[in-house]
Amino acid sequence: MLVRPDAQDFRIISYYLGRVLLIAGAFLALPLAWALIGREWAPVSSFVLTAGAFALLGVLASSRPPGEHRLDWSHGMVVAALTWLIVPALGSLPLALSGHFGSPLDAYFDAMSGLTTTGLSLLQDLDHLAPSLNFWRHLLQFMGGQGIVLAAVAVFAGGVGLSLFYGEAREERFLPSVASTGRFIWWASVVHLLFGVVVLGSVAYFTLGFSPVRSLFHGLLVFFAGFDTGGFTPQSTSIGYYHSALFEGATAVFMVAGAMSFGLHYALWRGPRRWSSLRNLETRTLAFTLLLTATLAFLGLAVLGVYRSVPSLARQGLFHVLSAHTGTGFATVSSSELVRWGGLAFGGVALAMALGGMASSTAGGVKSLRVGLALRMLKNQVKAVLLPDRAVVSQAYYQGGSKRLTPALAQAVLLVSLLYVALYLLGTAVGLAYGYPLQDALFESVSASANVGLSVGVTAPTMPILLKLTYILQMWLGRLEFVAVFALLGFFVAAVRGK
Amino acid sequence: MRRRPTRAWLLPLVVLWLAAPAATAGGSALAAPAAVTVADLLADPTAYAGESVVVRGELVGDFGERSDGTVWTQLNGDPYAEAPLLGGGSLAGANVGIGVRVPAAVWPGFDSPGGYRLRGPVVEATGVWRYHDPARGGESYLDVTGLELVHEPQALEEEMRWLPLLLGFGLLGAAAAVAVVRKRRAGE
Repeated sequence: MLVRPDAQDFRIISYYLGRVLLIAGAFLALPLAWALIGREWAPVSSFVLTAGAFALLGVLASSRPPGEHRLDWSHGMVVAALTWLIVPALGSLPLALSGHFGSPLDAYFDAMSGLTTTGLSLLQDLDHLAPSLNFWRHLLQFMGGQGIVLAAVAVFAGGVGLSLFYGEAREERFLPSVASTGRFIWWASVVHLLFGVVVLGSVAYFTLGFSPVRSLFHGLLVFFAGFDTGGFTPQSTSIGYYHSALFEGATAVFMVAGAMSFGLHYALWRGPRRWSSLRNLETRTLAFTLLLTATLAFLGLAVLGVYRSVPSLARQGLFHVLSAHTGTGFATVSSSELVRWGGLAFGGVALAMALGGMASSTAGGVKSLRVGLALRMLKNQVKAVLLPDRAVVSQAYYQGGSKRLTPALAQAVLLVSLLYVALYLLGTAVGLAYGYPLQDALFESVSASANVGLSVGVTAPTMPILLKLTYILQMWLGRLEFVAVFALLGFFVAAVRGK
Repeated sequence: MRRRPTRAWLLPLVVLWLAAPAATAGGSALAAPAAVTVADLLADPTAYAGESVVVRGELVGDFGERSDGTVWTQLNGDPYAEAPLLGGGSLAGANVGIGVRVPAAVWPGFDSPGGYRLRGPVVEATGVWRYHDPARGGESYLDVTGLELVHEPQALEEEMRWLPLLLGFGLLGAAAAVAVVRKRRAGE
């Protein structure tokens, strides 16, 4: 029997949602300062309006503390799911007012794409966009990648944040408390940020000949989008704009770092078993699938004869496979060229997008740990069939220590993996219904669901509204890995039909 | 000895036949480069690979002056080059651009590329379309041999929007008021 949520449930959810909105609104101080310094007056007014909307909604929602009542599992899930709907809605205000979008829905699409670190965009005339607005788009990726709810947990939730933590699809708590884990993630991200801006900015200044200010601008924005596997870029031609193997290489380092779980970051930075973490099933699976998809892409490109030399093929092929597998979505070729990557090249890139990076990272997709566990299950099944009846097949695997693949874990892994496949097919079906070729519809659907952002040109301001809504839904579901969204739906159903 | 005129008159034909490819090749080298759009180059890049073309568009982004004496920038051939949004133009989709490499000898020394509040210099760039250039790791770009300014850069205005600003301050004030009232009530 469904239990109808009472006023106290709404009060708890409202309170924590309000606190998260206040934290999210505080981030607006950065683009506002940027716009003021740059004397970008129209964006200044948009940011003030947006900050006001965040502040008022946040204060109103959190005006009645829940008292002694604690945030339980379902509350946390509902707060996380709502946060990821409301923050892009408010965050799209400056974009909608910029005049660079055909409709508020397009601006919402862009903000959702930013927060979910997808990178698909409906923005028009990016090359004349105000720098502060472009910074805001990239900052949304940073907020989403590091976890906006996680930021709130680290700041105020204390011991009540576990459900919020899991609601935002974080699966690994490598420090004793959620708050300390959250603080480590944000601390590590800021250290990466400083390092990334210095490296990328230096490459831009010393080798590309950009001015110091523009070098800083490019370094900052590309770092945000690279480390958070987001995919937005300062200019419309993505990373192809830089025409530099060195810049691509530096970007690739941050893409890979972004696709690594923060647990692995912690182990490599501080952990007592620094190098043994490289033995993790997840790490080995990611290395294997990267090798597999890169091989497929190389073979495909060689068969198509797209590139006339091996170094060209290796550079372009590897960059796009890395971009796809880490869920970043950077490209060095136009979408009109990417659409011509048929056969194995298409298969390699699409598969890389679908598989995604590590769990508890900024990457999307099925995730390497699930892929590794699914492959382990398959291997165990084959072994069980081939070995004598009395033989016992080991269910152990190594992931930060020896662990056991239980039936419950196996079920959860397969369920979420199947849900991802269903999500990929949903967007493909809608794309096909609107007359897009199968390959294009599938590619774009996987890109949206796995929060990648590579595009073969389907995503455009002129695409049907239903397809825009489908991609928004896919980005949201893919980012939250279903559970929080299902909890939100269950909450609404219980509110209407419960007793 | 009898001459064989039938073979003799064949000689000029043979010479003509042998010279024909060279003449054709020479003719194509001397022919004016084809005028194409950026969209044409992106839609069918192989058709123009290695060809000399003329492309019109706006220079945007950065003028990256590299140590090898070349300047790299981006040439956009979209409607915003002629009618920027801030200049009264209307939305016309995403930007359509290609990379261009300009030797220092050809570079006119433009000050500012197009960007926010500035429509960059609109030029007609003549050059060779390098498609997946093996010498540059498979990059595609226009290797410019000549650059002609069509329109000077144009500064654009975007002024403060007072209504959103006042509304925003109103919302912030309301939020502060609610927070103060809440704090007082909590104190009581």
